[in-house]
Amino acid sequence: MFKSLKSKVERLRSLSKMLVVLLSCCLVVFSSCMEWDYGLEENFDTSTSGEGLFICNEGNFQYGNATLSYYNPETKVVENEVFYRANAMKLGDVAQSMIIRDGIGWVVVNNSHVIFAIDVNTFKEVGRITNFTSPRYMHFISDEKAYVTQIWDNRIFIVNPQRYEITGYIDIPNMTMESGSTEQMVQYGKYVYVNCWSYQNRIIKIDTETDEVIDELTVGIQPTSLVMDCNNKLWTVTDGGYEGSPYGHEAPSLYRIDAETFTIEKQFEFKFGDAPSEVQLNGTKDKIYWINDDIWEMDVTAERVPVRPFLKYNETIYYGLTVCPRTGDVYVADAIDYVQQGMIYRYSKEGNLLDEFYVGIIPGAFCWK
Amino acid sequence: MKRLHLILLLLISPIFAMSQDDGIKWYFDLPEVSIYAERPIKEIGVQRTKMDSIVLKENIALSVADILTFNSSIFVKNYGRATLSTVSFRGTSASHTQVSWNGMKINSPMLGMTDFSMIPSYFIDDATLLHGTSSVNETGGGLGGSIQLSTKPAKEDGFGLQYIQGIGSFKTFDEFLRLTYGNEHWQTSTRVVYSSSPNDFKYRNHDKKENIYDENMNIIGQYYPIERNRSGAFKDFHFLQEAYYDTKKGDRFGFNAWYINSNRELPMLTVDYGDATDFENRQRENTFRSVMSWDHIRENWKMGAKAGYIHTKMNYDYKRDLGNGVMAHMIQSRSNINTFYGQMEGEYYIGDKWLFTANVAAHQHFVESRDKSIIQQDGNQATVGYRKARIEMTNSISAKWRPTERLGMSVVIREEMFGDEWTPIIPAFFIDGVISKKGDVVAKASVSRNFRYPTLNDLYFMPGGNPDLKKESGWTYDAGFSFALGREGVYSLSGSANWFESFINDWIIWLPTTKGFFSPDNIKDVHAYGIETKGDLEVILSKDWKLSLNGTLSWTPSINEGEPRSPADQSVGKQLPYVPEYSSTVTGRLSWKSWSFLYKWCYYSERFTMSSNDITLTGKLPEYFMSNIALEKTISCKWADFSIKGAVNNLFNEEYLSVLSRPMPGINFEIFLGITPKFN
Repeated sequence: MFKSLKSKVERLRSLSKMLVVLLSCCLVVFSSCMEWDYGLEENFDTSTSGEGLFICNEGNFQYGNATLSYYNPETKVVENEVFYRANAMKLGDVAQSMIIRDGIGWVVVNNSHVIFAIDVNTFKEVGRITNFTSPRYMHFISDEKAYVTQIWDNRIFIVNPQRYEITGYIDIPNMTMESGSTEQMVQYGKYVYVNCWSYQNRIIKIDTETDEVIDELTVGIQPTSLVMDCNNKLWTVTDGGYEGSPYGHEAPSLYRIDAETFTIEKQFEFKFGDAPSEVQLNGTKDKIYWINDDIWEMDVTAERVPVRPFLKYNETIYYGLTVCPRTGDVYVADAIDYVQQGMIYRYSKEGNLLDEFYVGIIPGAFCWK
Repeated sequence: MKRLHLILLLLISPIFAMSQDDGIKWYFDLPEVSIYAERPIKEIGVQRTKMDSIVLKENIALSVADILTFNSSIFVKNYGRATLSTVSFRGTSASHTQVSWNGMKINSPMLGMTDFSMIPSYFIDDATLLHGTSSVNETGGGLGGSIQLSTKPAKEDGFGLQYIQGIGSFKTFDEFLRLTYGNEHWQTSTRVVYSSSPNDFKYRNHDKKENIYDENMNIIGQYYPIERNRSGAFKDFHFLQEAYYDTKKGDRFGFNAWYINSNRELPMLTVDYGDATDFENRQRENTFRSVMSWDHIRENWKMGAKAGYIHTKMNYDYKRDLGNGVMAHMIQSRSNINTFYGQMEGEYYIGDKWLFTANVAAHQHFVESRDKSIIQQDGNQATVGYRKARIEMTNSISAKWRPTERLGMSVVIREEMFGDEWTPIIPAFFIDGVISKKGDVVAKASVSRNFRYPTLNDLYFMPGGNPDLKKESGWTYDAGFSFALGREGVYSLSGSANWFESFINDWIIWLPTTKGFFSPDNIKDVHAYGIETKGDLEVILSKDWKLSLNGTLSWTPSINEGEPRSPADQSVGKQLPYVPEYSSTVTGRLSWKSWSFLYKWCYYSERFTMSSNDITLTGKLPEYFMSNIALEKTISCKWADFSIKGAVNNLFNEEYLSVLSRPMPGINFEIFLGITPKFN
């Protein structure tokens, strides 16, 4: 009896010893808590600043670190991560593009399958449209209707921006989901023109009344961007594909297309191996700009590409380009190594450096307020 | 408090340093601890970390990625259970760690890296880490080091069976079955693991907010939603057959065949606003690996031969519902890899002072990658991809010399071939010496050159492959010491500290291009350096009580020392993204009779997500501490042994991230029931 009691006491002692050791172990780690800052919303009001430039920083694909920057050209002050700071949530994965209509900015976040609507003065979210396949660009037809182009989808989505709803689709002929790619849009009368880029070679024409593709124009391999000048001429530049591509590899070209007749007026061919991109217009739409290692500028009526660039290559790969519609200042984005804050260089229309500022990772698209 | 915690850790880690069985001269036998009487001449100057069977067989739900996380200085980057898990060894990238299984290299020839989440730890009987220069003894290309995984005969006599069932949070089921048979000459083993889970753990999503609208679609409220991990389900099946034959006259034959069938969804990002039911993002892998081996062992020489084959079929599908229930492919990627492997090796001892070794290994890869179907300009269909074959050879000779009991030196000369290109000679030199017999203090130093060739995707991937890439090259220097103390039947304490320095040139990085795809280039020169400490303490507290503590502490700056990419480049002189500067692990085991308690802890310092090391609101990965515990009871009866184990992961329910925008589970539980019948 006594022996059994002794054994029980021994056992209890052993168990208490074990508990003491366990608790000591746990105490070592109890202080370990990570710190997260949640829910801190900042109040912005840029309504008095007039002109402003939004910069969409794509961030790294699959890392959800896209950001939105805002630059005041008058004060030369940049505010980074304004979407996060104003809304206490992330913008998402790959901020592709942005447009503004009636004081609302529409930020297309490609791999988050979402378009955020924000107040352009406070950067606060006012709504969102979700569940796109892989949205690229947005174009307004009216207050109640807009088109959203996609990659990896052979449809353009029709949305109602007032109800934040997807309302329909425009099927693109001769395009599969896997190689689907529709990009930038411009409107001439009731027609919207869209460049089809990845493994494509055409500009399509959509009737906005019937929401159907009614025509297409074959250009070179992979037209990357699309604008319309003061003379109602469409401009697109192809990248020519890449070496070994089953779709082909050719010298890229810049095309001038008459919107009325939907025919190619002029083709400016580049050297084989060049990679031009980012065709942009100035405010009066009588000059076009593009990147081809250097930054190039040309009158929309020119018959040949200038011999000398507007800005020389500066030992980096320029990733984005825009021209201030009011002053004609040229803004060039340098993504540097694509995993750090990119740099924006601001030049006067004469090509003099006026300012430079860091933004977010991979600044790719601009939007003027 | 965190700082206090770190200081405490710094104080205890070198004392409770981790198991390392090199450099230990005395013999002392404790259960589950293997300590050798002599420093093997084969391992002169080698920095090696060996995972023992207790670590590897902790529970059936673990992969080798989990084992490395809690038991080594290696940083494991993953997105949660059953997701791609890659390693950073001494601040290098995933493809700088060479991984072998039973001698055969298993790094993907397309990607260069190994997914450690695809290796159940119950399938591995021996895991050894060779740090830096030490990897040159076994293979080339390990700019960070190498990890050798292998299986061993079960050493059974008669039939054996073990079955373990695990049931855990999020409807997770793990099952393990092992059948063994052995006699004097034969040892056979069949192992099966099956794991499945919807893996839909709940978490508060702080990266997004849900909106509440009024009837006019004005936002009248917002909140951070509690979401489930979406698209995270997995079903992994592994089958491993082994057979070993020992003639008992100096010849051993082995056969290993491992089949993997994995079906995993890829979890959605925290910032994904797509409807999970409208998208399918799935990876399916079928892999078969087999190795046959022959070892011929004589008194002063040994030779061996191995032959193997790997087949991997990897399918990746990204689909979306078109609105009519039809899931259409957005991406349909297919890759097939066939690898044939052969190896010959020999060792020759002259007395007990000299050892000469020679080794020739070849891997012939056949790779087919199909990434996308397109419609060509003429209307025909075509596939974007590539098909390539490449032979890779690695040959080495070494001479190891121990002129006195206290001193050893070793020279390794290695040369590698990739396709029709040969690397320059890869030399490595090792030296060690006993500084003090008391405490068995051994000093070690080594130096080596090394190269890593671009992977097949680096060279040929469509689009973006760059056939003009140069091979990466580097020099690595190691120096350190180890010690071992103990009193028979009372305690054993061993530890080591090691300094290393690596210079890697022409580091290959994939970057976006203006044409919308990524392409690799020789971008960076990296200087990785630091200190690794490890230690192990075993104490027999009383007749029934045993305590063991293992720990690691590493300081691994990995600095970009290349030329600036542009005048605005801020990355030069900065730590590489996603490489923690400090990391540490502690594992404690306390056992009392048939009870045992396990406590695992790991720490990673803040990881930068930008090469410029900027800390931004949207791009930071804070430091984190992780604690897991397990309590196990074994019951032995006449006809079987039973075990019941309860495990708690993420004990303190930490909200943490290993990679940006990838949710990780909070506290979760699993119970394991095991039975081992006694047939004999």
